[in-house]
Order: sequence, then structure tokens, then C-alpha cells
Amino acid sequence: MYAPQSHQNRNAIVTSETESMPAVRIRPKERFNLFQDQRVRAAMYQVLAAGIVGFLAWYLVTNTAQNLEARGMNTGFGFINATAGFDTDFKLIDYTPGVGTFGRIFLIGALNTLLISALAIAISTVLGFFVGVLRLSPNWLVAKVALAFVEIFRNVPLLIQVVFWYIGVFSLLPVVKKTIDLSFGAERVLLNNRGLYMASPIPGELFWMTLVALAVAIISAIIFRRQTRKLQDKSGTQIKTLLPSFAVIVLLPGLVFVATGMPLDWDVPALTGFNFQGGTSLPPAFLALLVALSIYHAAHIAESVRAGILSVDRGQQDAAMAIGLKPGRVMALVIIPQAMPAIVPPLISNWMNTVKNSSLAIAIGYADIVSLFMQTGLNQAGYAVEMVGMTMAFYMAISLTISFFLNIYNKRVQLVER
Amino acid sequence: MIIKTNSASLIAVAAAAMAVSGATAVSAAGTLDTVKERGHLRCQVGPPSPGFYNLDSEGNWYGLDVSICQAVAAAIFGSKDAVEFQSVSSQARFTALANGDSDMLSRTATWTMSRDTQLGIDFLPPIFYDGQGFTVRADSGITSALELKGAKVCVKTGSTSELNLTDFSRLHDLKISQVTFEDFNVRDDTYVNGGCDAVSNDKSSMAGNNAAFPVPADHIILPETLSKEPLAPAVRQGDSQWRDVVQWSIYTLITAEELGVTKANVDDMKANSTNPSVLRMLGGESNLNEGLGLETDWAYNIIKSVGNYGEIYDAYIGSGEQAIGIKRAGTLNALWTEGGLMYSPPMR
Amino acid sequence: MAIIKAQKTTARAAPLSETSVVGWLHKNLFSSVFNTLLTLVTLYVIYLTLSSVFIWGFWDATFVAENRRECFNNSLTGACWAGVIDWFDNIFYGRYPRDQIWRINFGGLLLALWMAPLWMGRVNGKVLIAVSVIAFYPFLAGYLFAGGSKNLFLQIMVTGAIVAFAINMANMITGLTRRVSLNVFVIQLFGKTSAAEKSQRNLLLLLAGLVYAAVFFWQMSWHVEVVNWTKWGGLFLTLVISGIGIASALPGGIILALGRRSKLPVVRVLSTGFIEIFRSVPLITVLFMATTMFPLFMPEGFVLNKLVQVIIAVVLFNACYMAETVRAGLQAIPKGQFEGAHTIGLGYWGTMGLVVMPQALKHMIPNIVGSFIGLLKDTTLVSIIGLYDILGMLRSISKDVPWIGLHKEPLIFGAILFFTLCFSMSKYSRHLEVKLSAGNKH
Repeated sequence: MYAPQSHQNRNAIVTSETESMPAVRIRPKERFNLFQDQRVRAAMYQVLAAGIVGFLAWYLVTNTAQNLEARGMNTGFGFINATAGFDTDFKLIDYTPGVGTFGRIFLIGALNTLLISALAIAISTVLGFFVGVLRLSPNWLVAKVALAFVEIFRNVPLLIQVVFWYIGVFSLLPVVKKTIDLSFGAERVLLNNRGLYMASPIPGELFWMTLVALAVAIISAIIFRRQTRKLQDKSGTQIKTLLPSFAVIVLLPGLVFVATGMPLDWDVPALTGFNFQGGTSLPPAFLALLVALSIYHAAHIAESVRAGILSVDRGQQDAAMAIGLKPGRVMALVIIPQAMPAIVPPLISNWMNTVKNSSLAIAIGYADIVSLFMQTGLNQAGYAVEMVGMTMAFYMAISLTISFFLNIYNKRVQLVER
Repeated sequence: MIIKTNSASLIAVAAAAMAVSGATAVSAAGTLDTVKERGHLRCQVGPPSPGFYNLDSEGNWYGLDVSICQAVAAAIFGSKDAVEFQSVSSQARFTALANGDSDMLSRTATWTMSRDTQLGIDFLPPIFYDGQGFTVRADSGITSALELKGAKVCVKTGSTSELNLTDFSRLHDLKISQVTFEDFNVRDDTYVNGGCDAVSNDKSSMAGNNAAFPVPADHIILPETLSKEPLAPAVRQGDSQWRDVVQWSIYTLITAEELGVTKANVDDMKANSTNPSVLRMLGGESNLNEGLGLETDWAYNIIKSVGNYGEIYDAYIGSGEQAIGIKRAGTLNALWTEGGLMYSPPMR
Repeated sequence: MAIIKAQKTTARAAPLSETSVVGWLHKNLFSSVFNTLLTLVTLYVIYLTLSSVFIWGFWDATFVAENRRECFNNSLTGACWAGVIDWFDNIFYGRYPRDQIWRINFGGLLLALWMAPLWMGRVNGKVLIAVSVIAFYPFLAGYLFAGGSKNLFLQIMVTGAIVAFAINMANMITGLTRRVSLNVFVIQLFGKTSAAEKSQRNLLLLLAGLVYAAVFFWQMSWHVEVVNWTKWGGLFLTLVISGIGIASALPGGIILALGRRSKLPVVRVLSTGFIEIFRSVPLITVLFMATTMFPLFMPEGFVLNKLVQVIIAVVLFNACYMAETVRAGLQAIPKGQFEGAHTIGLGYWGTMGLVVMPQALKHMIPNIVGSFIGLLKDTTLVSIIGLYDILGMLRSISKDVPWIGLHKEPLIFGAILFFTLCFSMSKYSRHLEVKLSAGNKH
């Protein structure tokens, strides 16, 4: 630190220097000075910083209050209970225009943002790991294609990609009358340019038993796996767990399901009038945004996965091969676990970016929180400060939650210097 | 002292930007004086909308609304180029006018009571009478909007069309499901590719946009009109002198058409006309300009620079090269002498 | 049993499998049945993609047409590039007056020339050159692009910029031709090589002062036509916003990063809060806040224009991201450096300014280039709030009556343009990274 612990201390040093050296460079006119004391200076800096920020905040708030009053703009959070007159084509909860409130609009927007972010995160992570591994494929062509994928989608602005997927791809899908059936003739999953239609299940009376059976099967599979692990640790005997676990998880609920008389109906989308009715449907804007976000972030994740894998010492791979592990298991058991500390932090920051980038929905009209609440809502109600504030608070809450978990992870894996 | 520090830090933040663009201040003086002092008019339009305000490949604005701005600039400065076009998104349009950013707006804004009374702005005479309608595919067999039960309809966000459509659907119990779009191109593309059964928008814009469909004849506009959409310029509330200037600039365009004064013959008319109304308008025998605080030849300048209403309509809406092709005869936009609603109070 | 030969055995040629084309193909593409299958499938997919792209974008495409109808008449299935070509001026320069476009090109050329010495091994004083670009170029460019009358401050800065540019160029020339920096060359020219350090410095200062004064009087006679900011647009505007964004975000980021690592709790909490707030929200909300709320923040009667609002938003947003980059750079500096600096008696600012920051910044250069790429891509968002940046222009083509409805081609053109820009920059930053880490291992 600049000044040693206190001014006496500093004087002591100065004196000793003066004694040992000719007084050419030392100017002894330095006297006791309040500003030289580190604690005093620290306190002063802090008071100054707090003062400036406090004043700025006060200044902005008073200006805003004055301006709001001068323009006769409404303030307060009363609008949350006011009815909103506009409709939206994609919502996860019930809402009727003219009856539903702005609070409900906020909730719809927030849920829509969360839905698309969660799906995009899941898809982009899987795809990103896949492409990241392909980047290191021994097949030259595959590695180069993976490289092209990563470079193209990383270097074009996401906004252009979102708009392009929307107008270039999803509005070019076949019309309703020429719907593509993705479930091979079962008419359960249908794709056309109105969106993706899926049959939604309607559970019958005894369906809960199937669910219970499923839970039992999963728990027993986990226990089984633990036991075999313990056994392996003790005796070295390997027992294959994958197939038996899978069999239990499929067979047990399946048997119960059949035994209880298959208590599940499907709400199948059917063509009535103009559109398919029934089932669950996802609009093209949703699909376009989902695809754009997934691919853009997969390209980023692929790069961090590749970097993570490359950060693992080459000797680890050689050693693992030497003890006879197959390439797939080398990756899964040796390389990836060691690469994880390098992969996870960029991965999570990618997840955060996915949530934030879902706000580009505004360009194609998917009803996320920004386009539904902060744009259409603000346009109708006009509570600028409150609505922008609520939207920002929503994103902050998500980010804080994610970074909370990231910090826990970082603490766990952090290498301590010295 | 503290205030100085603060504004200094603010300026420091913006310093580089300020150096190139500068800040503006709203003065308490009347808008006309402010505009005159500044040397140009700040006229608000929107993101390009064919027919009303477009950019051409040379970077110039053109369109019906653009001509209104140019007319006002010509009235004040004698030159239609003394105008700065501000392209503002539809969310911010009225705020930008109310807070003094724009001197006036002319951008296909519908004159409604709530906007006129609650937003601190005043609407002026409509320059285009529009109404919301539907476009459907001709082969769909639909001939009336009431047959759109359960249909998926594409509309643009942030406009009155969303609200009108919801009202219409509720009124007739049609259960129309709306697909909203930020961009009208995307909306139309989705529709053309079958993503919607119909497009709903102001009929005028639809006519223009439909002309761009690969096969325009495959699409028809249904006869129903959902709403009254008088598209009118607007100014800030509470400055009647400024309001008069813009208002009478618009009336001049209509009066000129009524009197047969055009861009081509205005010089001749000014010199040789025997019609007292023409002479009064062009500044020969009156002091109409005094009440407005403008030069005597203000009306002459308007017509000389942009022409009369009919000429503007033809150029950008009707049949001109840059026009979107909506016929005028027999619609509300015809002159009152031809059965339309374009009517100006007498200029005397 | 060893056989020792007097002569060195000539190396045997590498096995055929390592050198021949067939060998390479076998090793990299057809090493196993699975690999062969993979290769064939991939080849087929590549063929499908490229052929359809080629047919649409080139074979069936229209490059010369007056309007979209003509494109349709030529081919209904091909691209209509004619519209994009017709709009080139708008896409690159926005609504900038066509007879003034040379100012933008000239400004770009100046910047390129100014920065060129940074890449020349024989030129000295690179840090000074970099600082002079950041300190002076914005004012010169700002004046060149905006025009109008200059106040005293701007005159001083513009003169400074010209002098700095001239010195820089002269320094480059002496560096390239004689391998000496300008000051040494001037001293030699005056034959004062053996004079005292102080008198050498005085001579240089005097000369610089004379040049400055001459330029100052010269520039007073300049008159550059005003071009209002509303006429700025296209790629030019995108570069202006991201350029100012990155140049101002760096100092802001350094201050915030130091604040975040500060030992003073109040400073630390404030910086951390500020950084985290801006980092946790999407840029579009910050831009919305700038356009809807900044006007409310300002005192009555003080209105910032939209470009300034957007730039402030972009700078604030990026400073927070830059702060994290800087913080990462600081964390990479070993503790020993701090301790060493303390030992020789440097205080906080001395440690940071002389020891830690230079090392951290050097290693952050690739990351800063990375941030710039990110910023360049993010800047397209300003089109959503109504500025005519490159994306705004690309999306306006489809509304121009002759080209009405033409929107796919502009977007693809934009994608290609951005790809070229961003990809070459990221390649360059990777190259830098390798070069810097190699330089570090001596």
C-alpha cells in the first residue's frame, strides 16, 4: 500500500532513509498530513463515492418526478390491477382480453420468456456438446463442417438470424392443407406454417398409478446403480447398469399402465374450419426464436466445450486408452469430467445470455416479457418507469439466481493460489 | 458547486457523442419562433410505410405524410428542404411530440378522442381517410368478414388495428386468433405463405402491400370496414399559433386543388389570375399571412414546392411512379366537390 | 548388438499412408466403415445445401433490374440482388448527403493510416500512437462527419488531432526509412545529438508548438457543411456507435473493475451493484430505458437527441461487460507482481498504473477484440428503437416502392457482411492470442 500502516510508521521509514542516504531525492518537508493517513483517505473516498452516487440518484429522481408531473403522466403501480384490452396469441395461463389485468400480462410474458429460455438452454447445451465433440472428430470432413457451423452462427448477429429463421424458414413451411405429420401417420405431432401442433395427453382416473410406478422404478434404478458402484469400488466387479435400469423404468410403469386399462386419452389436433383445434400448439415465431437461440448459443457452447476438452492434458487421454478404455468411455469417464471446471462457467454465462437474448422476440412478435409487457403494455398503459423497472427486475432476478449457483460451483472447484 | 460537478460528469460521459451531435433545448417560446430560430422544421414520421413515408435508394424521404411536412417547411422558410425528418417508433411517437422532440408529427396516426384529449397533443385536419379491413386469398371462397370464424389473422403490434380486431371479434363472436408482428413485411410474408387466413390492416396500406405479393390478383380485400381511421397530423397542445400554421398549410393544399392551382401553373396564376380567391391565397390582395406570422407568399411557396393535395395524392398514393396505387375517385379522400370529405374552410 | 556406420543413414521416406493423397484420405475420411458412412452422408448434405444456395443466389438470381417486378419477370425462384445493389449507398452511408460521402471515406482512411504504424515492426512509440488515436481521433472524426462551426475546445482538439496525425506519419516514415523515431531524427537534423537532454526536449517542444500554432490558424479558415445526425446511418452509424462504445467502455470498464476489486466496501458495493445490474438485463431493455426514461431524468428543457441517448446506453452497458473482462485480466496477474510493486514502494495507483494494468491490458487485447465483435453485432439492436443503422437500412429496402416486399436478400447480404467483418476480426484476435502467449513464454 502507498502509505504504510500509520503516519508515525511512515515517518520512521523516511527518517531511516534520510540517515542512510544523502538527502538528494528525499524532501523532508513532508509533514504530518491528514490526507496521508490511509484510513482517513479510505473513509474519505468512500464518503465521496457514496455522496456522488447519492446525489446523482436524488437528482435523477427529482427530475423524473418533476417531468412526470409536468407532462401529466400517471405513476404508481395501480395499473397492475387495471384491465388490459389487448390479446396475445401465445399464453400458458388463462387470459381474456378486456377482463385480464396488466399483472396477468406481466405473468404471461414472464412465463413465455422462461419457457423459451428453458427449452433453448436445454437444446443448445445438448447440441453444443455434440458439436464441440465433433469439432475434435478424427474425421476431417466432419470436423470442418462443425467448424463452419460454429463460425457462421457465431459471427452473424443474432437479430439477423432470428428474423431470418422467421421469414426465411418458418413462414415457408407447407400450408395447413399439406401439413407434415412428424409422428408417422399417427397425427399426434403436426407441422405446418401455422406452427407445431402436438396431441396433449388427458390423464384418466387411474393414471396416477402409472406415475407412482414410474417413480418407484426410477428410485429403484438409482438405488441399484449406487449399489453396483459400491460393489465396483469394493471388489472391482463391473455390473452393467444401463440396460437393467432402462428395462425397469420402461417395463414397470408400462405393465401398470396396461393393467389399469390404459387410462390416458389424447386431445388430438383436428382440422376444423381454418385451423387445427385441440392439442398444444406452438406458433412459428416461437419455433423460429427457439431454433435461432438454440443454434446461436450451441455454436458458442461448442467453442467452450472444445476449449475445455483441449485444456485437459493429452496424457490423460493416452493413459485412459492405455488402460483399455474405449474412445467413448475415455471421453465420458476421463476427459469430460476433468474438462467440466473449464466448461461450466462459460456454459452458465451462455445460459444467462440465452435468457437475455430471448428478448429479441420483439423483432418477430413472440409474446415474451419485453414485447408483450414492456412494449405493447407500455404502449397501452404508459407507465414507462414502472414497466421498464419491472421488466428489468425480472431479468435481474433470473440472473442473480443463476449466478448464485455459478458462484457455489466456482467455490467448489476453484484452485486456490498458494 | 455540486451541481457543476454533476453536470460536468454527465457531460464527460456524453462528451465524445456531444462533440458530434450536441444536445437540444426546448425553449419556452412559441414553437413557430423556435422553429424559425433553429432554421428548420423537425417533423416526425415513422419507420418506412409505403405511400406515406418511405426512403428511396438515394436516402430521401418521400410520401404523402412527408409532403405535408415539406409543405409546412415551405410555408415557414420558403423551401421544402428546411425539414429534418425524425423517424420514431410507434411506441414513442406521441411522447416524442409531447416532450418537444418533434415540432409536429405526420405519420398515419389515427385521430381518436382518447389520443386527442389525454396525450397532450392536438390533431389537425385529416389528410387521408382510412378504415381497417381484411385481405384474404381469393380462392378461400370468403366474401365477408363475418365468415372468418376461428380464423387466424395477422396484424401489426402497437397499432389500433390490434384493438379494432379484438373488438370486431368480440362483437361478432368470431373467436379470431391474432398473430401479431412487429414488422409488416414479416406479417405479409407469413400470410402469403399461408401462415394466416387473413391480414387485417388499414385498407390503404393493404392495397399498397398487396401490390407486392407475387401474384396480387390472388388476394382480395373484403368489403367490411372495421373502423374509422382518419389519419391526421398532430402538434403539441396549447400553442394555437403553431397549430394554425400547420393547419392552414394543410388547408392550402386542399384549397389549391379546389381552385385548380398546381405546381406548374402557380406562377402564371399568381401573375394573371382574375379569381379573387386565388389572389387572396397567393398573397396578392390580402394579409392572410399576418395572423400566422409568416411571409406574404407562404401559400405560393407551399404550392410551388410540393403542389396541391391532388398532385401529392397522385404522386404517392394514386397512379404515379412512386405510388402504391389506390384510386381516389369515389372514396372519402376525393374533394368535397366530387363527393369526398376533403374540404377546406374558405381562405379569406 | 549395435551396428555402427561411419555415415549417417539416409532417412527412409515416410510411409505412403502418411504422404499420399490416398493415404491422407484414408486416414482422415475413410478409416473405418462408420467413418466412411459419415463422410458420405456429410458430403451429400454439403452437396444439397451448396447446390440449392448456388442456384438461388447466383444461377437464377437477378443482378440488374429497375424494380422487383423486373426481378420476378426474370426469375420467380432466384434471388433479386438488384435491390440490394441499388441501395448500396444507403446500406453503407445511410442518408448522408451523397456529395459529402467522401468525408466518411476520408475519416476512415485517416483512421487506417493513423493506426497502420501499430502493425509495423520498425516503428517506435506504439503506446503513444494508440493513446493519440483514442484521445484525438474522435474529435477530428466528429468534426469531419458532423461539420458546422467549431467552439474553442473543438478547435483545440481538432488542431491537436492534426498535429498528432502529422507527427505520427512523420514518425512512421522516419521509422521505415531510417529505423529511428521522429524525435531522434529531428535532433540529428539539427545536429544536437550531443546537447543536454533538457535542451533537446526544449527544441522538440518548440517545434511542436510552432507546428501547432500554424495548424491552429490554418484550421480556423475551414468550413465544413453541417450534416445532421439524423442523416447518419447504415454501416457507418453502426461503426460509429460501436467505435465510441468500445473506446469509452474501456476506461469505464477499468474504473469499474478497480472499484469492484477495491478494499473500500462502499466503492466495492457500488461498483459491483452497477456492474451486476447492467450485466443481468438485455441490451434492448437498456435501450428502451434510454429512449423512454432518459428524457425524464434530464432537467426540464434539456433534451438529449436519440443518438446520444443510444450511445450513452451502449457505453454504460459495455463498460459493465468490459469491467468483467478487465477483472479477469487483473485476476490473471500473479500475486507476486502486486507484492513486488509494494516492495519497491509503489502506492495503489502506482501499482495499478505502472505494473499491473499494463500487463493485464496486454493480455486482454484478444478479449477486447472479442468484446468489439460482440458490440458490433449487438449494435444491430438500435434498429428496433428506430435508428437507421445497417440493419435498419436493410429492412427499409422492402418498403421502398420499387423494391416493395424484398427482405430476404438484404438480410442475407447483411449476414454475409457481418460474417466477413466479425470472422476476420476473430481470426485476428486468435492470432494475437497466440502471438502474445508465445511472447510470454520466453
